Amino acid sequence: MITKPSFFIQLGILTKRLILRVLRRPLAELPNIFISAFFLFVYDGALGGVFGGTASGTPFDFANGNFVNFILPVSIVSASLSGAASGIYLVEDIESGVFKRYQSMPISRWAIILAPMIVGAIRVLLQASLIMLIGKIIGADPAVGTVGFLIVLSLAFIWGMGFAGYSVAAGVKSGSSQGAQAATFLFFPAIFLAPTFVPREALKGWLETAAAYNPTTYVIESMRSVMVEGWVIDVLFRGYLAAGIFAAVTLFFAVVSARKATEKA
Amino acid sequence: MLAVEVKNIKKTFKTKKDTVEAVKDVSFSVEKGEIFGLLGPNGAGKSTTILMLTTLLRITDGEAKILGSDVATEDKSVREKIGVALQDTGIDNILTGRELFFSTARLWGYSVKDSETRTNELLELVGLTEAADRRVKTYSGGMKRRLDLGLSLVNSPEILFLDEPTTGLDPGSRRVLWDEIKRLRDRGVTVILTTQYLEEADELADRIAIIDEGLVVAEGTSDQLKASIGGDVITFSFSNNSDLENAKKLLTDYKQEGNDLRITVQNGASKIPSFVNKLTENNIEIDAVSASKPTLDDVFLKVTGYRLEGSETSTKSEQPIKES
Repeated sequence: MITKPSFFIQLGILTKRLILRVLRRPLAELPNIFISAFFLFVYDGALGGVFGGTASGTPFDFANGNFVNFILPVSIVSASLSGAASGIYLVEDIESGVFKRYQSMPISRWAIILAPMIVGAIRVLLQASLIMLIGKIIGADPAVGTVGFLIVLSLAFIWGMGFAGYSVAAGVKSGSSQGAQAATFLFFPAIFLAPTFVPREALKGWLETAAAYNPTTYVIESMRSVMVEGWVIDVLFRGYLAAGIFAAVTLFFAVVSARKATEKA
Repeated sequence: MLAVEVKNIKKTFKTKKDTVEAVKDVSFSVEKGEIFGLLGPNGAGKSTTILMLTTLLRITDGEAKILGSDVATEDKSVREKIGVALQDTGIDNILTGRELFFSTARLWGYSVKDSETRTNELLELVGLTEAADRRVKTYSGGMKRRLDLGLSLVNSPEILFLDEPTTGLDPGSRRVLWDEIKRLRDRGVTVILTTQYLEEADELADRIAIIDEGLVVAEGTSDQLKASIGGDVITFSFSNNSDLENAKKLLTDYKQEGNDLRITVQNGASKIPSFVNKLTENNIEIDAVSASKPTLDDVFLKVTGYRLEGSETSTKSEQPIKES
């Protein structure tokens, strides 16, 4: 007997389907994991000697003697950007016509859009966990204790979902894989117009202004606060707020784009 | 209540530079339990019509109802009543046939247990039980079409829309799909299909609407359409151009196609001797002569002025013919 499935059942079925697709193409996941781990090793190797333990007592001691704690959020955020690949799932569905099939069924459009975002966020979560494990091995030790890792992961999940939404929206709007791929260009301003290597106070001029308007700044600062300083509630709150607003805006943008996508699909 | 009621629907696409009228004025109605065929060449507006009726495109103007529900304002209700297999409806190649049926059944609202039962029923129905656990990317074109048809039946729809269901299939696979569609009709499902194959429309459809350039130019049963030709078709073939030109001076109301002249008369077979005598008396050599009952091809030719691509007697696709 047919009874209209709830929104969450629809979302679960669509998400499971995409997870199956990811699991059956595991090689596609390797480059992102490799790049994020690479950043962690390179940044720590190149800058750890300057800003790490030897900086103690100097004005450069913003890492409280542990540069891995300071730089780990950058690797996590760069892993979060892998969520930007999620738009590809939806574009593949548009190009293959699967999207059209779903549109012809009584399925919530929000579920169709949210499913690739969740899968993007899950990918980010797994990649961030792996990066964190590597960070732990090379000396990461959160100031608030082990729970700090969970806080960083939760921020990565929300931030990853935001990027996934952005990519999904770009993919739906352009209707092409090139459009979704082009969305990943946001990686560079997001990462580098932010207090990536030094605290925001050390940034000067236009970069300081740009960082103030970049939501990545607040996510990195939030992660850093639990890794380096301890419980700084207002900074932590700003990180969740920035990630949450970003995810909500991109989801809304993606759904609005999907309304028009039917005419193109 | 009619299964489908379409009144003067139009679809206009606007681009920055241009406005394209893909569907100019289409009206028809379909009774419950019928197979209704929309026949026409590529670009005639068949698929656009189907997309509008299945709520996938907004109707620019006009009105369409599916089992009494307005397509424009009651789209959710329409979607619950229909099954759709479009030309480019997608199939997730990386999943197996069983996974696709199961997840589609769950999305329609079947419980886990009922979804398993429905999956097995449909796999059996479309003859894919043995291939059920293989990934779809290993399926042949015919198997994918059968899978597509099966997926459109998961919710036991009252009305099934099939957009060119057999395009690209070999004759054997086409025949299998035809039999399947007829069985669905016999079980009470109303089927609206588009096709550019005359044979398919003739074989499957209880009624046919011929669409050309966004307009319905003829509608009726296959027999009604053929009867509208008004007699049998006699075809004279000439191997020599001068014979052809001389014959044109003697015959009236002919249609020329290449080196053939075709005339439509009542009781064609009995009239052949008198035509042959008339031509031979004037030293015109006839290469071949035949009389045949009108076909849908002849109907199409009459109402559109050209032959449908791929028709048996077509020598040049969509080439206008000369009329005397």
